[in-house]
Amino acid sequence: MYKNKHSIFLILILGLIFHKYYCKEQTYIHNQAKPPRFHVAEFNFDHVSDVYAITLWILLGSLAKVGFHLSHRLTEKFPESCLLIILGLIVGGLLYITHLAEQKAYVLNSDTFFLFLLPPIILEAGYFMPNRPFFDNLGTILLLAIVNTLFNTICIGLTLWGFSFTPLYGGTQFGMLPCFVFAALISAVDPVAVLATFTEIHVNDMLYIVVFGESLLNDAVSVVLYRMFDSFAKIGQENLIPLDLILGFLSFFVVSLGGVLIGIIFGVVACFTTKFTEHTPVLEPLIILVYAYLAYLTSEMVSVSGILAITFCGMVMKQYVSFNISKKSDATTEYVLKMLSSIMETIIFMFMGLSTVSDHHSWNTGFVLITLLACLVFRVIGIAIFANLANCWRLLELTRIDMLIMSYGGLRGAIAFALALILDETKIPRKKEFVTATIAVVFFTVFLQGITIGPLVKCLNVRRKQIEEPTMSAKLTNRMMDHVMTCLEEISGSGGSNSLRDKCRNLDRNYFKRWLLRETPQEKMDIKLLQTFKKINMQSAMKVHDTSKGLVPTPSSTTIHTSPSGANLRPSSTFANFSQLLAANLPEQTVPDLMFFESQGTEHYHDDAQMHHFLDTNLYRARPRATIHVRSKDEMADTNNETNNRFEKSYHHRNHIYIPPRLDKEQLHGRKTGRSSSGTNRLTGAKAASSTQADHDSRSSKHSLIPSYKRESFKSTNSPKQRQQQQKSKSRSKSPPLSSDQPIKSLSETKDIDQPIPPVSIVIENEDDTVKMDGATAAERICPWRRSSLPDGEKLTSTSSIDDPSNTSHTFSNTNDPNLHSGPLTSANFSGAYNKSAEYMGEFATITKPEEYVSRPHVRDLFNNQFRTSDEKQENNSETASNESVTRL
Amino acid sequence: MGTNKSVLLPPDQVQLICSETGFTPKQLRRLYIRFQELAKRNPTGGYLTREDFLDIREVALNPLGERLVDVIVQDYGDANKINFRQFANVLARFRRGKATTDLNTKEKKLLFLFSMYDRNHDSKIDRNELLGILKLMVGGNIHDEQIATIADHTIGELDADGDLTITFEEFCETLSRIDVDEKMSMKFLN
Repeated sequence: MYKNKHSIFLILILGLIFHKYYCKEQTYIHNQAKPPRFHVAEFNFDHVSDVYAITLWILLGSLAKVGFHLSHRLTEKFPESCLLIILGLIVGGLLYITHLAEQKAYVLNSDTFFLFLLPPIILEAGYFMPNRPFFDNLGTILLLAIVNTLFNTICIGLTLWGFSFTPLYGGTQFGMLPCFVFAALISAVDPVAVLATFTEIHVNDMLYIVVFGESLLNDAVSVVLYRMFDSFAKIGQENLIPLDLILGFLSFFVVSLGGVLIGIIFGVVACFTTKFTEHTPVLEPLIILVYAYLAYLTSEMVSVSGILAITFCGMVMKQYVSFNISKKSDATTEYVLKMLSSIMETIIFMFMGLSTVSDHHSWNTGFVLITLLACLVFRVIGIAIFANLANCWRLLELTRIDMLIMSYGGLRGAIAFALALILDETKIPRKKEFVTATIAVVFFTVFLQGITIGPLVKCLNVRRKQIEEPTMSAKLTNRMMDHVMTCLEEISGSGGSNSLRDKCRNLDRNYFKRWLLRETPQEKMDIKLLQTFKKINMQSAMKVHDTSKGLVPTPSSTTIHTSPSGANLRPSSTFANFSQLLAANLPEQTVPDLMFFESQGTEHYHDDAQMHHFLDTNLYRARPRATIHVRSKDEMADTNNETNNRFEKSYHHRNHIYIPPRLDKEQLHGRKTGRSSSGTNRLTGAKAASSTQADHDSRSSKHSLIPSYKRESFKSTNSPKQRQQQQKSKSRSKSPPLSSDQPIKSLSETKDIDQPIPPVSIVIENEDDTVKMDGATAAERICPWRRSSLPDGEKLTSTSSIDDPSNTSHTFSNTNDPNLHSGPLTSANFSGAYNKSAEYMGEFATITKPEEYVSRPHVRDLFNNQFRTSDEKQENNSETASNESVTRL
Repeated sequence: MGTNKSVLLPPDQVQLICSETGFTPKQLRRLYIRFQELAKRNPTGGYLTREDFLDIREVALNPLGERLVDVIVQDYGDANKINFRQFANVLARFRRGKATTDLNTKEKKLLFLFSMYDRNHDSKIDRNELLGILKLMVGGNIHDEQIATIADHTIGELDADGDLTITFEEFCETLSRIDVDEKMSMKFLN
């Protein structure tokens, strides 16, 4: 199937290229023969040719990738990189035979490679670098990256040069310095190839990070060595003085530390910038990408290691940026990075294949074989020496098997190839041999090693990466172990890595977080622990959400909800029943949201009953999915939606799901104490809150007749002990339990707009109704099903705007009876109401369709939230909301 | 550490503790010097008290420092004092090296962790004990309510038999996937 697709696409490209030349000729003749006439349509390929070609290549790469993954058997056996190279070879072969395009048009260009193709991959690697394993193994990584690469270069260089005195190369002469230049480029392990291979074989984090970290950090060494030997070759062997060597050695520090420094500086500046992007969240991902790219370009400009710069830039940014930017931006950044690096990787491997078919080759069997052998042998020797050396201080020693995988995973790739291509043929006369040998080595490692490393890992029973379910207990214990070990290290007087880590963490908390985050962290707060908790909470919420599809609300769910929450969370028989009910009603076949469960096992918690109870009281209420796109919402600052609390923010940034954190807050505050008003202020975000507050103050002073006891009553309804009472009071007075400010506020607004100020007594009595009145749709927002229960929509609107407390309160009491929902409620009725909460539009694309909400167990809660949402929204755009909903209806 | 005035341990003691803990005599000497350093309040007594430990700034600052010291002093010493042999014994749990004794096994480490929670020595972690630890670790402005839900969640994860307490077996079971051995080890200087 996929082959067909490709061949079609291939023909398309060839056709286009063919057409280009063909058309040119034709128009030329045409122009000469007749005077020019106006053309209705013009074929102007030249105008777009370059960009068109690039886009087509990208498309070809993506389609190839898509195609490969249609066949499971193929991708299981062969790594993607191999398949892409093969595809490149085929296309290259076709182009070569047909001579359709000039060779330099499709041969990998090292400028393109270093400026466009490489940075996204490295940035992605840095951004998603598992920090903990990286720093835990930093010593080993540095040893391997620096000393081992140096060792390899020298050994390979000497070997190659040494063999040039034997007849093995067939009489071709290789100078010493060219040999070393070649050795410098061939000895570095390639991050792209390693990444492509190791992500597919899922070895444990430690092994992965050691090999991958080496491949990233050896860039500085290989850049320095390459440049050094290259310039030595230009200076000429006879003109070299020892000073050059010393300078070369010094330049290593400049290149590596300079790269790291530039990366960190740009990273910090990027974090600092995102501190102020509160009002322009759409630009956040761009800012991150641009800063990172700038770091790369800057370091390339001053010829220090760009790879190190962009890696560290990514690592620094990841630490702080995700706390600052909005969840959407965070998800977008991650996604864009993944997308870019994935396509760049695809293109690189494809181009490797393409570039192989060219005239720039000169096959020298002896040289290729010696290179290959030297690479393999010295890789093994180097790893054996330096891994054993590292074991002297490593806590977790590298076993023999680890070492084998490490040496086997020393893949060479496109960086070596690109470096070989930019060799200057006038200074290094054997460039063609070098290019050929590089390609041979790359192909050998990518194909042979890349294909066999998977089975080898399986065969040797290498500890695989465990996809851990993020359990609270694990996180807690992990953190506890850290603390304990730090303490014990202090006690025993041996400052180890734990103490060092602790010091770094303190530094981070005291200085960096303070400067770079929008909100300074609270003292002694264990953010990670809380994050984990919230993430778990979220995930379990999603689980229940996903599995509760099709569940008809039953009385038992009501029981759960009205039961006292908080301190005594003990599973009672009701909950057991509920979970049984859940279990009975919900087979496992429901399709989970894949993006969400990506990192998760499917195991459920031991104690379902308890879990459900827990969830029941703590779930973040799900929000409806929006069906229309409100652009202004995306571009507006999320201040209304988002608390500035970064714990809330960060905890689902990985889940690609947005659920407004305010409900959590609301719950917490609502349940905890009666400080609902302060809760409200926090919910709406600092800015909005302050304006609301000011607004409200001025208004309430205007209408100071509104008695304060009303507020008191609101507060009391939020107290946890009176939850039951709250239910009742909710049904009696339709006032939103969320805030005391809002109803008053909107009330006064309404009065300002369309009503003469009524007598005070009436205001109090009808407060709730007034709330609903200020938009024609308020009634439906509160109880959307009313539309279906009443025959005429227009009539409904008018009824609701009549001040008839008994009528509305009756409707509201219905909301407390879940049985009602199963009857007249249909998704159609709801979707109208959902659409109205314009505030949340576009936020929920990933969750579920609105229909699913109909059958959720806590439909009533949904309504309450609905009500709250719209209520809060009212003050801002009650008019627009009502207009919109009217047109919708 | 530089202090060479070291009051040396009697050789028979060294041998005894070495065979018990798996420390090399060199490591033990270093530990002993450290032990002496810590015993500021009563330099000649040959024991450390809770306060001695808490004099270490980092320990006092560590959120779990006090708890840890409590565990060490109460569970592994007698009468709220810990002598050098016991001290070495505690630390030997976290020694990493080829020579394994029955002290630095995974189970001992887990047991130590468990005792960090279980302060009333009933071999069970109950809700209050968990709450205590969580409060120590999370601290800050988190509401009790939230901590309570976290604690309940954690118990829910760990508790296999539904009695709302965590026994040592349940504790080990759930943590079996964590590399406790690796994380709860440190290098002792030679």
